[in-house]
Amino acid sequence: MTTSRGNRPANAIDQTRRMLSLVTYLRERPGARVADVARAFGITGDELIADLELLPMCGTSFRGGDLLDIDTDGEHIWWHNPAALSSEAAQPLRLAADEATALLVAARAVATLPGLREGDRQALLRATAKVETAAGETAEASSRLSVTFESEGGVFADVDRAISEGRRLWIRYWSPARDEVSEREIDPIRLVSVGHTYVEAWCRRSEARRTFRLDRVAEIRILDEPSEPPRIEPRDLSAGLVQPSADDPEVVVEVGPAGRWVAEYYPHDAAEELPDGGLRITIRTPAPESLRRLALRLGPDGRIVAPAELADSARGAAREALAAYGEDGDGLFDAAATTGPAAPADPAGAGAAPAGA
Amino acid sequence: MAIAKAERLMNLALCLLGTRRPLSKRELRASLEAYMEATTDESFNRMFERDKDDLRELGLVIETVENLDGEVGYLARHDSNQLPPITLDAEEAAALGLAASVWQQARLAGAASGALQKLRAAGLPEDVDPYATHGALEPRIPVHEAAFEPLMLACRDRRPVVFDYRKATAAAPEPRQVEPWALECWRGHWYLAGWDRDRGAERVFRLSRITGKVRTRTGAFTAEVPDVVRVRETVARWAGESAERSALIRLRTGCGYPLRARATAVRPLGDGWDEVEIPYGHGLDALLVEFGPDVVAVEPAELRADVIDRLRAVAKG
Repeated sequence: MTTSRGNRPANAIDQTRRMLSLVTYLRERPGARVADVARAFGITGDELIADLELLPMCGTSFRGGDLLDIDTDGEHIWWHNPAALSSEAAQPLRLAADEATALLVAARAVATLPGLREGDRQALLRATAKVETAAGETAEASSRLSVTFESEGGVFADVDRAISEGRRLWIRYWSPARDEVSEREIDPIRLVSVGHTYVEAWCRRSEARRTFRLDRVAEIRILDEPSEPPRIEPRDLSAGLVQPSADDPEVVVEVGPAGRWVAEYYPHDAAEELPDGGLRITIRTPAPESLRRLALRLGPDGRIVAPAELADSARGAAREALAAYGEDGDGLFDAAATTGPAAPADPAGAGAAPAGA
Repeated sequence: MAIAKAERLMNLALCLLGTRRPLSKRELRASLEAYMEATTDESFNRMFERDKDDLRELGLVIETVENLDGEVGYLARHDSNQLPPITLDAEEAAALGLAASVWQQARLAGAASGALQKLRAAGLPEDVDPYATHGALEPRIPVHEAAFEPLMLACRDRRPVVFDYRKATAAAPEPRQVEPWALECWRGHWYLAGWDRDRGAERVFRLSRITGKVRTRTGAFTAEVPDVVRVRETVARWAGESAERSALIRLRTGCGYPLRARATAVRPLGDGWDEVEIPYGHGLDALLVEFGPDVVAVEPAELRADVIDRLRAVAKG
């Protein structure tokens, strides 16, 4: 049905790729266990069974009749005619360009993670070099893709150590909503790198699960107390770190063309085009007051439309700030020359994980 | 029921790998059940061409050979399709296992698993839990931008592209013709570096600002691809992180941690305020205004004026 390269069904490609490796693998291992093979291939038992149902319909000879006689009793896998595939045809296949790129780019990125243990980093670098050699010229294109993880080095190393030693952490953490650094004790659960690096932890002060962005940790100490996070299901982060709930209040922001970056940084429910090239963005957040800093940052490039209290609060803060410059903030004349675009690489409050707000 | 595509591709791959002499299209059509079901030459040809492309994407080197009768035949020779010998120990295998799991993009996640499976078939040790030796580390490479996949392929194949691009400040997107060099992910966002044909200069694009489809163009690159493409340095400059000047601000005690974190000097003034020296790069005015009445820009005058302008705009609402 789909004919264009971009949106062909990915599973047929991935399944073919996998089955080609599977025949090589099974040929060497008569009676292999379903569970072991599924683990080795990083697939579920059901996926493997689906492959095993398909393989007996495949063969090497254009004359037919040489189908692979592979079957399973659900526990072991038997190949009754391994000679149907010559040993040459069953050789491990060279890496495709995309395969080499995907593996090498990821390996190089992971190797730069500051929290990686030195032994693991060395193993990864050795493996990367071997894969580069084996991939040969198909590895070339992998240099056209690269990924840098953020590196809050010292903090990362301490969190990683606390997790592996099962110890509690004391941190001073900056909360963007209140512009305040506060102390808390946390029982770290895991480190997650999605652009920035975060630690997911059980916060002893709020008795709740919290996510802390490492570049907002002002100070950190590993405590002697054991870390005892309650047993909780890990959050599924595939949809992003910030997952506002449907009950959270809505904030509506209108931005001009120069404020369109807001839609790139803040997860939002809706972004409606405005006639002047701007956007009307609806953001759902458990802490609307945390968006006051956004209103201030936007300056001439946007404003809070709702709720009214939040808009008032931003105006009030700006007036108070102007007082320090000897302006009363009332009867303002038009500010003629505004500054250039101020789209940030990273506004201080953007993408605020629901961390101890 | 139509024959599953995976079954058809698998049969074609095994035929081409298993043969010692080139097989003609006629022979292949007569031997694959899926091809026999094709009702017209045209539909068979279309299917066959697409399947060949798909297998080549999977890394199969398929040669096209003309036989004595002038008939075209196909085969996948063993020596050009074989993975060179590679031996990895358990630690190396575990490290690669972790790396293969970081992509959050379907195509690359599939390709990374595929690479690992090929290595597995070649004897990669498997009795190690990839996470066990790496503690609690879960790195992920996010890819949310629709433009990513077509640009990745265009970078790989060195093909010029056109796309509509909305600059940060522009109301409407405008078409750009680009020779794509490299993609880089920084702070969770993807950027493209390449040669902008209309401007005749190197440019960096942010993928989230590409609107609509990325289309590839025929023809070769016209500009030379540099040996090293620096995306991050350019983006960091946009972010004001390569400031050459310094600014002086006053900051209420205890406030503005992100400003303090990048300060070069902090002097308590004793009246509930600190005097802070901070690098002055692009966007500092907007950052200062975020902290409202807890920060005062002192010098240079230009920064002070910019901050006042921004505050006025907010105060006016």
